[in-house]
Amino acid sequence: MHKKIVLAASLGIVFAYCAVALLAPVIAPYDPHAITGAPLSPPDRDHLLGTNDLAQDIFSGLIWGTRATLLLGFVGAAIAVTVGTAAGIVSGYYGGLIDEAVMRLLDVAMTIPIFPLLLILTTFFRPGIYLIAVLMGLLGSFQGVRLIRSQVLSLAVADFVVGTRALGAGDGYIMARHILPGVLPLAGVKFVTSAQHFMLIGIGLGFLGITDPSVVDWGQMINRASQNGAMILGLWWWLIPPGLAVTLISLALAWLGYACEDEINPRLRVMRV
Amino acid sequence: MTAMSDALLEVRGLKVGFPTPEGLVRASDTVDLEIYPRETLGLIGETGSGKTVLGMAILRLLQPNTIIEGEIRYRGRDLLSLPEAEMQRVRGREIGIVLQNSGTSLNPVYTVGTQIAEAVTLHQGLSGPDARQRAVELLDAVGIPDPVRMAGEYPHRFSGGMRERALIATALACRPNLLIADEPTKGLDAVTKRGIVDLFSEIDRDHSVLFITHDIETAGDLATRVAVMYAGEIVEIGGAEEVLGDPAHPYTRGLLASLPERGMQPIPGSAPSLITLPSGCRFSPRCGCAVENCSREHPGLVEVGSGHYARCMLYD
Repeated sequence: MHKKIVLAASLGIVFAYCAVALLAPVIAPYDPHAITGAPLSPPDRDHLLGTNDLAQDIFSGLIWGTRATLLLGFVGAAIAVTVGTAAGIVSGYYGGLIDEAVMRLLDVAMTIPIFPLLLILTTFFRPGIYLIAVLMGLLGSFQGVRLIRSQVLSLAVADFVVGTRALGAGDGYIMARHILPGVLPLAGVKFVTSAQHFMLIGIGLGFLGITDPSVVDWGQMINRASQNGAMILGLWWWLIPPGLAVTLISLALAWLGYACEDEINPRLRVMRV
Repeated sequence: MTAMSDALLEVRGLKVGFPTPEGLVRASDTVDLEIYPRETLGLIGETGSGKTVLGMAILRLLQPNTIIEGEIRYRGRDLLSLPEAEMQRVRGREIGIVLQNSGTSLNPVYTVGTQIAEAVTLHQGLSGPDARQRAVELLDAVGIPDPVRMAGEYPHRFSGGMRERALIATALACRPNLLIADEPTKGLDAVTKRGIVDLFSEIDRDHSVLFITHDIETAGDLATRVAVMYAGEIVEIGGAEEVLGDPAHPYTRGLLASLPERGMQPIPGSAPSLITLPSGCRFSPRCGCAVENCSREHPGLVEVGSGHYARCMLYD
């Protein structure tokens, strides 16, 4: 029962964030870039969360910022999981030299820390939110390859795979119809945990100022607030809301990931009974 | 044995080896056999004698690192030299196979009907409802009650005997000329087994069948000819009545003597390792009739009757 509540709550939070991101133009009272009144004014009826040093409405910034964070997280995770699943299936299914080559490449790739590499790459390219999402997705797909491959190794020698081959099916057909469904639950969990991870990385990049400056995001909001002394001046409405927003979605995705993992991993299920 | 051109399948000098750290496992060594149209060839042997490997090798279903030599001619074409794409058209359509382990040979995430329809879709390009209809017909043909409903059920809802029937339906879906059945009666109770055997006696009216089994009685019921395998070799081959009624090879005699109704006398010793095979006749260490020469010379197949061959020094 407890698990169901956690699952429902985390799903609810994720859906609420998605709704906010989609409906940002409707919900946000102001253009987040527009000057809307006095700078640094505390929350009141016109500005639910006050304004920043440029007199921009913080509530509107928060709403629009949801888009950037979710986009980075979900687009990045979609790319990471797609690439990871495809590479994992091919590597595990064919085995032999192909597998060896993919695994050794991964060994090298996994020694590279993603965050610093992202920092460097984004300074080379013109930072755009989609570019960052794609880069994150590609760099973040490595772990997924191993995870999926380990599952494919056992599926590839399953009797029903040999049976399908005996019916005259080719490798592509077998991988798509008989291997992929077997790894989908795992890929789903990986998608959720990756999305959470990438959202946090996205916030981190924003905080360091290495993101698309034309897109409002929570990382940049926190950066601007802390740079301009929001903490010392006690301007809590500037600093706390984006921080809370990040924390909440991150927690929700983590819970969702655990709940899904619980569901597909029978060993965990026994342990928790 | 002379090569006969009217054979549907001819296996010539087939050697199958698996490289392992301990050495090469010679699972099949210079196997010659042929299957004629509309005949059932029973392939008998103990576990580990190379029966399954032979069946899988015919359809090239073994692991890619397997070493295969020799010829497997299906209607004159050598299957071992066909490109993979051509081979895919042979599998299922020309030669069907019912693999061992019926329990795990169906994918648990698809309904049985979907999986039977797969075979039809792969080869005959039938789409959705047509393939589905064919799947139901096939389930009906192999004796599954209420086939419309059962086609929509998942494999775990099927009993052992019903799964076996479903697999047979899948293998027959594209009306192959040759059906290879690998121990289809394994692990079934006597009544269910009888049902499967009856099903095969219907099937072999229209199809050639290679019936792989360790069950001599079943082979006797179904087969027109019988081949006996020991340690990767065919030690005796011939008409079912001759081989099982008047066995020439001491191993075949031993197998028959070990049947419960014939005194249940086991053959002493155990089958040799396929990595370190005994010199000379492979059965000689366990053979009651062995003479000195048996452990030195490797006997060839000798004709002991019309179309009846045995690999034994006794007939040299």
